[in-house]
Amino acid sequence: MTSGVVSERTAIGDPVSNAPVVAYEKLEEVFEDIRAHPLFDHELHGCLNCGICTATCPSAHYYDYSPREIVQLLWTENLEGVYDAMQEKIWSCAQCYTCAARCPFENSPGGLVMIMREVAIKHGMQSAKDVLRPFSRVLLKVISTGNQLAPNMITREAFPDWGPNVAKVDAPLNILRKAIPVPTMHTMDTAWEVNLKTSVELYTIWEETGVLDQLETIDENLFDVVSDVMDEKRDEYNEWLEEQQE
Amino acid sequence: MDDKRDEGGSAYNGFGAEWRPANLTPSEARAATSWVETRIDRRSMLTNKDRVEDVRDAMWQLERDGEIIVHRIDDRHEPVVARTLYGWEKRIPTTNLWQHKSCGQCGNIPGYPSSVMWLMNKLGVRYLDETDQTSCTAWNYHGSGVGNVVSLAAVFLRNFHQAYMSAKAQGLPVGTYYPLVHCGTSFGNYKEMRIFLMHSAELREQVKKILGKLGRLIDGKLLIPEEVVHYSEWLHVMRHRIREQQVVDVSGLRATIHPACHVYKMVPQDVIYDETVMDGNRVAVSTGLMQTLGAQVIDYSTWYDCCGFGFRHIIGEREFTRSFAIDRKIKVAVEEAKADVMIGHDTGCITTLDKNQWIGKAVDKVYALPIMADCQFAALALGAHPYKLAQLHWHASPFEGLLEKLGIDWQKAKAEFEAYLEEVKAGRIETLYDPKRAITSGPGYVMPTSTPSLSGAAS
Repeated sequence: MTSGVVSERTAIGDPVSNAPVVAYEKLEEVFEDIRAHPLFDHELHGCLNCGICTATCPSAHYYDYSPREIVQLLWTENLEGVYDAMQEKIWSCAQCYTCAARCPFENSPGGLVMIMREVAIKHGMQSAKDVLRPFSRVLLKVISTGNQLAPNMITREAFPDWGPNVAKVDAPLNILRKAIPVPTMHTMDTAWEVNLKTSVELYTIWEETGVLDQLETIDENLFDVVSDVMDEKRDEYNEWLEEQQE
Repeated sequence: MDDKRDEGGSAYNGFGAEWRPANLTPSEARAATSWVETRIDRRSMLTNKDRVEDVRDAMWQLERDGEIIVHRIDDRHEPVVARTLYGWEKRIPTTNLWQHKSCGQCGNIPGYPSSVMWLMNKLGVRYLDETDQTSCTAWNYHGSGVGNVVSLAAVFLRNFHQAYMSAKAQGLPVGTYYPLVHCGTSFGNYKEMRIFLMHSAELREQVKKILGKLGRLIDGKLLIPEEVVHYSEWLHVMRHRIREQQVVDVSGLRATIHPACHVYKMVPQDVIYDETVMDGNRVAVSTGLMQTLGAQVIDYSTWYDCCGFGFRHIIGEREFTRSFAIDRKIKVAVEEAKADVMIGHDTGCITTLDKNQWIGKAVDKVYALPIMADCQFAALALGAHPYKLAQLHWHASPFEGLLEKLGIDWQKAKAEFEAYLEEVKAGRIETLYDPKRAITSGPGYVMPTSTPSLSGAAS
């Protein structure tokens, strides 16, 4: 983001903040990426400022966040406001889509937030990196295995606020998993057993759709780890294919 | 900076610089709220829209134009017709189902999918649960923004292509199995992706290129499902058949329903409503099942609120998740509806509402409301073992009192399960189906020597 930071008088900054000012060109570039998103016109049709979205928004109860404000900023092309909202506010949205279901204009503020999150990642905004740091465990799991959640991720250390009764029968996790009567779920590292060929196919999807580039932008170390896992699994699959030909 | 506080001292945030407090009197505020509530509590809240389109029209046209192939729901799937938000028909397949599992359910609430499959065994429904499938990856996308419409659409059509092809591994015709989506977020996401794919030639081209590399096209074309079907829709159309096998009286229970956002707020026009279920003013799934089983379904003022899961918040900002779950759902269900149980039909909701009660003790918000999925409750009503099958020991909320109200001896059941764990340690494991059927290609796959009977029963 430093490439977009300037100190000239033409730049736009916050007079009550120590944050460095951001060049107008950078603000335009970010906004154009939002507007050029293939779903932008699907998610925004107009706005009467009625506020029904904010009235029903769970995040508005607890955060300085309003879906009405997000829609207004985009509809009025308020470049500074859009950029500012991308630093923190967009990460408050709980993605419930109550706003979208109720908007008389059929806008989807939740969908617009997703576009802004994608663009925040594309531009490598530090705010996106910071907010996604606790999510890295999940990113590693879903990109390297195709499963977002694994049984061995649910530990008392990771979720102390869930209390002492998360497991009501005292037994080793691997035994409890085998006691599930669904054979594909006798797993610890993934939610279900994922076919090796399936994982390899998924890697192609990640590569072809730029998902790995997104990952590298927000967390280079995580990208390296995921790349190693992908290489190992591809080697394993290729070895199996060679065995079949022998 | 303006003081954004009303006369009562409540703070309001996020409304923008132009916002000013209205400072309504209590009676004015009550009148305004009532005006809103008479509208938000109605199905019409979702129907007064200008741009209503049945995407299936575009889908059939694209098939006529030779661009796509539609995976049809046919006689093999014994469909039952349901009606959606605008009264449109949606055909729900009832047998030969491909279990499209949920990562959150399988990882954290395993009694959820096991109950679905157990009910299918009980009803003689054929199905396939296999390893060649990934998560929809939409939980990750909605939480992090990592991913995009092309990746989500490609994952969607890869998984559904596998569902279409899977029967070949058993020597059966392609298309025999129809995908049944377990997760609410997968359901909402896949329905959105189907719309985007039908609207955008560019997206179809991008996805086609990727699936071509994977060998996941049919005659060089994308395969699109006739319907995206959620398991709760299957339960809904099967509810009267389920009732026929009920052995536990549940009429003494007061049940609240948490309708899942990604089930009924994403692509709302494709959600089942039924005039016989809450006068058609609530999504019919789960509520219809509970009423058919004989439970008292109690409406409550925050029924439409989300659970607080937040996708990102449940991982990294749980203060929001647990506050919202307790204040807007659990507290209301307990104090207003006097509920014995809250029933849901989605992964994140069950996790959030179940796991975030204990922490309430820290702020003197002490609640103990059992939380489970509709399929788990239905399985219990049909006599399923609460531990071995419904796997309730993975739930943090206290279900023991609920079982007592149902006349189920949970202490005896727990002792039976603990004894079973010793059998498991010795390698004597009971399963709902033959594990060999779960691998349909790649390492571990064995070509069947004869055409299987397609039995969904345990073996």
